[in-house]
Amino acid sequence: MERIIFILKIFPLAGLLVLASCNPQSVNEENPEPEPFSPTPYEFPDIPYFPKNFNIPDDNPMTVEGVELGRYLFYDGRISGNTDKDMLMSCSTCHIQAHGFEVGINHPKFKGGKTFGLPTPEYPEGKPTPNFMMPLVNTVYNHNGYLWNGFVNESNDALGNPHYGVPAREPYNYKNIESLVWMAITAPHEMNSTVDRAVAAIAAVPMYREKFKAAFGTEEVTFERISKAIAQFVRSIISYNSKFHKYLRHEAQLTEQEQRGYDLFFSEDADCFHCHGGSVLMTTNEFFNNAKDSVFDPDEHDRHWVTGDPMDIGAYRAPSLLNIELTAPYMHDGRFKNLDEVIDFYSGGLVYSDYVHPLMKNVRQKGVQLSDEDKMALKSFLFTLTDYELINDPAYSCPPELKEWSGQVNY
Amino acid sequence: MKKLSFIGMIAGLMVFFGSCDKNNEKGEESTSGKVIIQFEHYADGAPLVYDSMMYVNEAGNHYEVTEIQWFISDIVLKNKDGDTLLLDKDDFAHYVDTNLPDTWVWEIQDDIPATEYQSISMTFGIKGEKNKPYMFTDPPESDMLWPYPLGGDEGGYHYMKLNGFWVNTNNERQPFNFHLGVGQERDGEGNIIGFIQNWFESELPSSAFTLSDSETKVITIRMDVENWWKDPNTYDHNIHGSKVMQNQEAMRMGCENGRNVFSIGSITTKPVP
Ligand code: HEC
Ligand code: HEC
Repeated sequence: MERIIFILKIFPLAGLLVLASCNPQSVNEENPEPEPFSPTPYEFPDIPYFPKNFNIPDDNPMTVEGVELGRYLFYDGRISGNTDKDMLMSCSTCHIQAHGFEVGINHPKFKGGKTFGLPTPEYPEGKPTPNFMMPLVNTVYNHNGYLWNGFVNESNDALGNPHYGVPAREPYNYKNIESLVWMAITAPHEMNSTVDRAVAAIAAVPMYREKFKAAFGTEEVTFERISKAIAQFVRSIISYNSKFHKYLRHEAQLTEQEQRGYDLFFSEDADCFHCHGGSVLMTTNEFFNNAKDSVFDPDEHDRHWVTGDPMDIGAYRAPSLLNIELTAPYMHDGRFKNLDEVIDFYSGGLVYSDYVHPLMKNVRQKGVQLSDEDKMALKSFLFTLTDYELINDPAYSCPPELKEWSGQVNY
Repeated sequence: MKKLSFIGMIAGLMVFFGSCDKNNEKGEESTSGKVIIQFEHYADGAPLVYDSMMYVNEAGNHYEVTEIQWFISDIVLKNKDGDTLLLDKDDFAHYVDTNLPDTWVWEIQDDIPATEYQSISMTFGIKGEKNKPYMFTDPPESDMLWPYPLGGDEGGYHYMKLNGFWVNTNNERQPFNFHLGVGQERDGEGNIIGFIQNWFESELPSSAFTLSDSETKVITIRMDVENWWKDPNTYDHNIHGSKVMQNQEAMRMGCENGRNVFSIGSITTKPVP
C-alpha cells in the first residue's frame, strides 16, 4: 500500500518536472538579467511574552540593509542640512542610547533635560521643544499613535506642512515614524531645516551611495528613502533584556526588596500596572489624565487636542517604564527630577479634577499612601527595568566614522 | 508522515484529473450554519450612557460608567436532546471593550450543525485551567493581565474591569474600579495562602433558537450593568470603596450578582446579501 501511494505521489510531480524543463527561460543563460535587488529581510528575535503584532507600514518592510542605513542617518548630524560642525544636529543629539534614547537630566547643553532646536534668528538660543523627551524603544509594538498625545497615527489623514517647506502631499503625512523624521528635520524647535537641504547634504557624502543601493536598489538619495531607512532603524530598537524581563523568563532572581517592589507595582497596593504594566512593554500605550493638575490650559497639546473629547483633557500617553532610571526628568513637562519625586507624587500628591481617569482610584486619598520602606522597594523594582544590553548594543550605537558628525555633545 | 504522503497523493490526483471532484459534491446530508455574537451594554433598561452621573444603584449610590472591558469564553450550545457543543474550542475567549467597536462582535469560526437549540450558555471571565498568565501577548487583551501575586498560575487575566465614579458619603465624585478576577485566600496575618476562582457559567434565559442550513444567526448578548450591584447582594460602593481586586468578599458578591447580568438582547437571521 505504501508503495502505491508513493508512486502516485511522484507521478504528477514528474509531470511537472517535464513541463518545467520546457521553459525556454531556464535554458537561456546568455542574457543575464541585471542583478536582482534582493535585500535581506530583517528578523526580530522571538521573545517570550512579547507582542507578535508589529507596527510596520506595508510600504516600508524592514531589511537588514535598510536598518543599517537608517542607523547611519540617525547618527549623522549633516541630516540637518548643515556641515558646519557647530550647527550639526542628528536624531542622536537628543535621542541618546546611554539614556534609553532620551536626553537625560545631566546633559551639558540641554540643561535639566530640556531640549531645544538649532539656533535661528528668532531664537538665537534655539526654540524649546513643546514637551520633554519620550523614549525610543519598542516603538514597533505601539499601534496607538506616537508622541505624548498620539497625534501621529494611522488614521491621521492630514498631509505636509507648507509652512515649514514640506509639501501637503504624500509621503509627508502624520501617520507613523516615517513622518516623525521629516517633522524632526523641519520643525523650528528641532533641526529647523528643509527636506531639500537634508537630501543635498546626505547626497554629498560619498559613503552613502553604496548604502542606499544596498537598501533601496539604486544610489539615489531621496527624502522618502531617508525617512524610511531611519524609521526602520528606530523600529529595530527593542528592549527586552532588563532584569525584570529575565526574571519573567526565569533567567534572573529579584532581591527581597525588588520582589517587594514588584508585588507593590503588580497589585492594588501601589497600583502601577493598570496603566504601565499589563504587557511586558511596561506600558499600555493608552492615554490617561493621571491627576497631576486641577487646572488645564486650553492650548495644551494634550490628548484632548487630538480627539476633541473633553474626557481627554490633561491626558497623555502612559510611557513605558523600561529604562526609567536613565530617562529623567519625568512626565511630558519634566516636572519631576527623579524617581523619588514621582513615587511621592503617586503616593500622596494626586489632585482631583473632573477629568481624572478612574484608574487613578486613590485620588480622593491623594494617592496610594506608601510607607518609606515601600517607596524604597518600589524604586528598587523600577531599577530592575533598566536594560543594560540595550544601552550597550553595538547594533544601536554610533558608527565610528560618524563620531565627529553626530552632533552629540561629547561628555 | 503517513498523513503527509496521503495528502500528497490526493493533491497529485487532483492535478491529474482536475475535474473529477465535481461529482462528489453531494455526499451525506450534513447541513450547517454560522453564529455571530454581538454585545451590548445596558443600564436601567436602555443603552448605557457613558460618563454621566445619571444612575442610582440598589444601595442608593449615584454612579457613572467610564468604560467596561471584559472576557467572555466557552460558548456552549445545547440541542434539544440535551447534547452540548462547545464553540471555537481553540479560540475560546473573546475580549469586549466598550471603547473599541471592533470588539463588540465575535464571529464564531466553527460550522455549527443546523438544528434546534434549547439554550446558549457562556462563561464570564476565563476558567482557571485556561487562564494562563501571559498567554495573550498583544494589546488590548494583554492589558487585562491579572497580576501574578494576586492570581497565581490560574489567574492570568481580569474577568472584567468596570471603571467609573460614584458619589461618596462626603458628596464627592470618587473613582471605583470594579475589577473581577481570581481572589486570594489569606491567613490571619493577611498572607496569601491560596487562590479562589470567581468565574461563573451563565445559561442565558430565553436563548432557544433554530439554525437552518447555510443560515447565519446573529445573537446579541446584553450586559445589564446595574445588576452587578443587586440580587442577591446589595453592593454599596461606600462599603467596598474604590478597589476590590484584593477584596474577595466584594468580588464574591459581585460574581454572585453576575448570574443575572447577562441576557439575550435578540436573535436574528443575518440577511443574505
Ligand atoms: C531637539 C531634540 C530632538 C531631536 C533632534 C529629535 N527628537 Fe525625537 N523627540 C524629541 C522630543 C522632545 C520628543 C517628544 C515629543 C512630544 O511628544 O512632544 C520626541 C519624540 C520622538 C518620537 C516619538 C516616540 C514615541 O514613542 O511616541 C520619535 C519616533 C522620534 N522622536 C524620532 C526622532 C527621529 C527619527 C529623529 C531624527 C530624525 C528625532 N526624533 C530627532 C526630541 C528630539
Ligand atoms: C491612570 C494611569 C496611571 C497609573 C495608575 C500610573 N501611571 Fe504613571 N503615568 C501615567 C501617565 C498618563 C503618565 C504620563 C503623564 C504625563 O506625562 O503628563 C505617567 C508617567 C509616569 C512616569 C514618568 C515617565 C516618563 O518617561 O516621563 C513614571 C516614572 C510613572 N508614571 C510611574 C508610575 C508608578 C511608579 C505608578 C504606580 C505608583 C504609576 N506610574 C501609576 C499613567 C499612570
